[in-house]
Amino acid sequence: MATEQQSGETFSDTQRSGPYASAVNWMESLSETQFAYLLLTPALVLLGVIAVYPLVSTFSMSLFADQLTGSARLGEFVGLQNYVDLFTGARNYALPSQFLPTFSSEFPFVTNIYASALAVTLIFTVFSVLFETLIGFGQALILDQDFRGRRWVRVAIIIPWAVPIVIQGMIWYLMFQPNIGFLVGTSQNPALLNQLGLIGTTPLRNTADALFLIIVADVWKTSAFMALLILAGMQSIDRSLYDVAKVAGASRWQQFKLITFPLILPTVLVAMLFRTIDAMRVYGIIQTMAGCQTVPSLSCLVVTTFNTPLYGTSATVAFVTAGIIAVVVSVYIVNFASEGL
Amino acid sequence: MSSETPGAGLGSDDDDMERGPLGRWVDSAIKNPDRVYRAMFYVAMLFFLVTTLFPFYWLLVLALTPNNLIANMGLVPKGFNPEVFVAMFERVPFHLYMFNSFVLGITTTVLVLLIASLAGYVFGRLRFPGKGVLMLGILAISYFPPAAFLIPLFELFTGNTAISIGMVTISTPDLFNTPAPMVFPFSALFLPLSIFILTTFYGQIPDGLEDAARVEGTTRLGALFRVIVPLSAPGVATAGVLTFISVYNEFFFSFLMNNGEADSWAPIVAGILKYQGQFDTPYNLMAAASIVGVLPVAILVIIAQERIVSGLTAGALKE
Repeated sequence: MATEQQSGETFSDTQRSGPYASAVNWMESLSETQFAYLLLTPALVLLGVIAVYPLVSTFSMSLFADQLTGSARLGEFVGLQNYVDLFTGARNYALPSQFLPTFSSEFPFVTNIYASALAVTLIFTVFSVLFETLIGFGQALILDQDFRGRRWVRVAIIIPWAVPIVIQGMIWYLMFQPNIGFLVGTSQNPALLNQLGLIGTTPLRNTADALFLIIVADVWKTSAFMALLILAGMQSIDRSLYDVAKVAGASRWQQFKLITFPLILPTVLVAMLFRTIDAMRVYGIIQTMAGCQTVPSLSCLVVTTFNTPLYGTSATVAFVTAGIIAVVVSVYIVNFASEGL
Repeated sequence: MSSETPGAGLGSDDDDMERGPLGRWVDSAIKNPDRVYRAMFYVAMLFFLVTTLFPFYWLLVLALTPNNLIANMGLVPKGFNPEVFVAMFERVPFHLYMFNSFVLGITTTVLVLLIASLAGYVFGRLRFPGKGVLMLGILAISYFPPAAFLIPLFELFTGNTAISIGMVTISTPDLFNTPAPMVFPFSALFLPLSIFILTTFYGQIPDGLEDAARVEGTTRLGALFRVIVPLSAPGVATAGVLTFISVYNEFFFSFLMNNGEADSWAPIVAGILKYQGQFDTPYNLMAAASIVGVLPVAILVIIAQERIVSGLTAGALKE
């Protein structure tokens, strides 16, 4: 396919003249290193403008006070005062009051907004990643078998992963909105989940209940991602190991424990790290299902303060969030580098 | 697989007569554990199918029930109201939001594929100092939360960032409510995944094919776009499909980088959220719009299943 197209056009390249030809000649004369950096320029410019510059700019904004009035968004230079205020809880005054009261009734040990957002984010991250791994593992074990209709089962398991976050939020909002369906009852007529004490009668307005349901919604959507990565790990295992194990009389459980599990463990850990990094950014599902007032995550806090607009505070929270994720990323990179890139 | 089960057939078969069907099944299951595994397998498969597909069925139940009847719903629709799929477009111009989502998705995909092709070629086929550091840098950048980029990008795209070049200070153009404040952040966000997918695919093309094209007089870029890219078509398709789905599904910048109106290039995020009215909550329309909004990606998953699976695993488990 490629060679046919190419044979007609190869000569025209060299025969053209003018700026195009001189550009081609200039490009041909570059060394391999120069050529490599030339081709990387678009990617580096894009990432520089959209990621590196904003990151640096966010940090420099976090060193300035908030300014609610006037055309300038930032007040005077205050150094690290925003960070000090954030960690000591002195920054509560400037924020919409919903953050602290809604949360502190559920978790009285959390005393300031930053700590409450951090707690929400960490609870979400730990439980969603844990259950996504377990359920993804189960799904991968199913998909690893040979059976008729496997392709369609795989489609069914992948589809939640492809659902837009806003629709994921809408689906779970419609499932747990009071009075709509059988999943949420009233105090006179409690539904099964109410009787079990898992959720109250207005679950999406209660921080603990909403956080629980948001974790369930995230597990529903993202387990498939874990399943696919774990499945890829399973299918890369040398099948002859299982033949040897069978000859030696190993049961299926022993085969799993002694062959499958240790061999896919590195894959699972990498996949969990990916999900951890992703889960710590959680925002969209919270915004659509329950709202940032009910379940304030770190990203929620950034957006709410940005909208207020408290640019100094917002930039501070944003940079701290990035810092926490950077710690997790560096764990990954150190791990990756030690394996030999 | 089942034939090697040790111990099968050792027990006596005489007791079978005195037990019921369940007892017989348990008995044979003890002798032949493969039957238990198979039963467990089907139970688990059924469980996963029900849990993944039930929420979609619930959308259908709510969409088909007229809104005034939506209360204490069971497992079946109360009524049959297919007109909801017309009514949803009358209340909110959802088709325009979907069009915007498609335009944003396709624009971003083209941009990402172009830039990632160049970068993937460099990382997959060239040797130069700084390669490992650059790859790790690009990987690391992609893991920072979008929230960390929000304020500067918002200021940049609303024309509030001043750039000083020597003595001249110019303000950035106000691009808010155009596709730009979404397309560029999307591209940066999803570029790394495509770079790693294409690096893997481009790196697998034998050097001889590229050398042959170069000997025939093809330019360096010509060799990339006429030899390497066509030969890596599955990889390019994978990166394209994943980028499109990622953009279609994105929430953060889709929600914050526009005013939520269809004529301001707001994508389906704003469209879905617009159904929540000030005076009423049309649950049936919300459900119908969710079904319509999911359809394009669901179809894409069914068609491009293999690409998605290989892309996710290749992109994430780069080894």
